[in-house]
Amino acid sequence: MLVLSRQRDETIMIGDDIEISVVDIRGDKVRLGITAPTRIAVHRKEVYEAIKRENAEAAQMSGPDVDAIAGNLRPGSNGAAPVRRVSSVIASGNSLGNGSANAGSGTAHPTTGQRNGAPENGTHTVPVRTSVPGKLAGGKDTA
Amino acid sequence: MEVRTTRFGVIDIAEDRVINFEKGVLGFPERTRYCLLEPGEDACFFWLQSLDDPNLAFVVTDPTLFVPEYSVPIRGEQMQQLALDKLEDAQVFVIVNKVDQELTGNLQGPLVINTVTRNGEQMILAEKRWETRHPLMKVGAQTRATA
Repeated sequence: MLVLSRQRDETIMIGDDIEISVVDIRGDKVRLGITAPTRIAVHRKEVYEAIKRENAEAAQMSGPDVDAIAGNLRPGSNGAAPVRRVSSVIASGNSLGNGSANAGSGTAHPTTGQRNGAPENGTHTVPVRTSVPGKLAGGKDTA
Repeated sequence: MEVRTTRFGVIDIAEDRVINFEKGVLGFPERTRYCLLEPGEDACFFWLQSLDDPNLAFVVTDPTLFVPEYSVPIRGEQMQQLALDKLEDAQVFVIVNKVDQELTGNLQGPLVINTVTRNGEQMILAEKRWETRHPLMKVGAQTRATA
């Protein structure tokens, strides 16, 4: 690993378009400012790791655990017919509004080491649909 | 195409039902093709079955059933990656886990799927408000999701 010493307000360049600056140093906490093209994802590593771990664990759910969730989740209970269905696919309308147009923010997203990831500039909000895909596709509403 | 799965045996998946997670799901970068299986008509939970690994399947759900105020911010770049023309084409799922007697949803790492092109990606949300183990419901009794 390359180790560099930097003082406050000094910057490191990674490649041509990624800059990391030391914004503040207080005790054992260092605040970093990161400027990178939006195609580069910037995350706190522990968050990334936590999601990875959670995925791995969720993938282990099986047997009795799954039965506990919903008896009818057991595909076998549907007979031989495999439960298969398309997703989301679902391309049926049912938009939730919020068609907020692309705010078209700049090319870089300065991600400072804020503790509370405030919404970055130029983000959209994907509304999650209010009904399950099955209902969307079938249009049969079971209350 | 016929796909072998550990849980469901051999299932027949139409090509146009295949969902591509180009980057995989975090921790499973090699598994890029999935399909969504629905246990029943009015199911709240679905299986996201890998077509590359018979043994790999996740239980997923629509988070709004449980957390109405939940939403996923997405940047223009991410929309491009998913080939999303408009937000309405997106469907969000979260992966479900069971922790003790509670079902939890990974609201910090939602799956966003372009329902038109069937491209999907697991996002990582910066907002600390959403956790990897957001409680959805207790299990044990009956499992009807009452919105």
